[in-house]
Amino acid sequence: MLGLLAEEPLHGYEVKSRFERMLGGTWEVNIGQVYATLQRLERDGLIEASGARGDRNKLAYRATEAGRREFEDWLAYPDQEPQQLREGIYLKLLLASRTGDGSLDALLTGQRRVCLQRLRDLAALEEQAQRDGRDDLVLLFKGASFHVEADLRWVDACLDELARRQTDRRTGGDAP
Amino acid sequence: MSALVELREATRVYNGGSARAALDGVTLEIGLGELTAIMGPSGSGKSTLLNLVAGLDRPSSGRVVVDGADLTNMSEAALARFRRQRIGFVFQFFNLLPSLTVRENVLVPAQLAGMPAGKAEARSRELLDRLGIAETAGRFPSRLSGGQQQRVAMARALINSPALVLADEPTGALDSATGVQVMELLTELHREGQAILLVTHDAKLATRHAERVVSLFDGKVFDDSRLSRSGAAAGDLVRVVGQEVQR
Repeated sequence: MLGLLAEEPLHGYEVKSRFERMLGGTWEVNIGQVYATLQRLERDGLIEASGARGDRNKLAYRATEAGRREFEDWLAYPDQEPQQLREGIYLKLLLASRTGDGSLDALLTGQRRVCLQRLRDLAALEEQAQRDGRDDLVLLFKGASFHVEADLRWVDACLDELARRQTDRRTGGDAP
Repeated sequence: MSALVELREATRVYNGGSARAALDGVTLEIGLGELTAIMGPSGSGKSTLLNLVAGLDRPSSGRVVVDGADLTNMSEAALARFRRQRIGFVFQFFNLLPSLTVRENVLVPAQLAGMPAGKAEARSRELLDRLGIAETAGRFPSRLSGGQQQRVAMARALINSPALVLADEPTGALDSATGVQVMELLTELHREGQAILLVTHDAKLATRHAERVVSLFDGKVFDDSRLSRSGAAAGDLVRVVGQEVQR
């Protein structure tokens, strides 16, 4: 939000719609959260009201000098948050391998199909963004595709491991 | 029968070595005009399958029928004739003859198949024009970029109007932008009705261009997925999450 307000003064609803447009519909923001954040940023001296209340009592904000510095600091540092693996497949796989009821194969095959279809859908979105001249969104969808490719490789690695265990069992080897 | 390619329990075991089959009882049908991708890691049986469909090799057991021709027990000479007339090859490293010009490279399969010279010349001009490389006709392959060489290879693959084009990692030796152009040309040919079998280890390539992805694993068909143009919205596929809204 600071980044958007560093570009030009915006009121709350404009912040929401501009943010969502920038992300190509991949991040929906609650308007209540936007207003609460604006109040907090104003309290911390990072943004300030720009002019008087206008049409329908709307108040526009802009970033202060301190706000711009804060935004530039944020831009300058690489993201070091822990990687998030939120997909349910990780949990399902862990639980299915503990119960060991033989459903792993079907689970992985199904997941693999989802990955393949998703790659195709992302390619379509990437092509559309390209046609629309949205190079920033092209990069976003490329990033998403790389993640799906990684998931696919991981599913294949799981299948590989599963096949190895089955072979070990058939040949009487000691599978872990 | 509407299948262009039909494998029934096709198995290929190579002599001397492991008992494991390179291809293990594969049953698969590929329809006319389909763009199918065969995907799998190295050693999964992709090349073996390709060689069987191309008539470069015969199954140890089972059956392979392509474009109505049963390749299973065909003589070497008949297989060679079948390959020349019914199959077009596009390889990763182009495989052009360096001592022949572009035009001559494209004409080779037509000459081998006995096409009348005038007809072959006309068809080669039409193809080079269609693939956007008409101006390279008199040059030698070494004077061309990778993308141009692959287009020459495509013209050569198409000159005998094959029933099936086999594309084996066709973008593997190209940079990504040129690879996309080559794949777009293949996709266009497919839209015009050309059956294409694309062999690749690249999931992104396979899913972007093929409507069907057959995955091989340890010599077996592990999955056979038909993909759709689902038209899913960005928000249904990707959610960017984080704390940034709070700043």
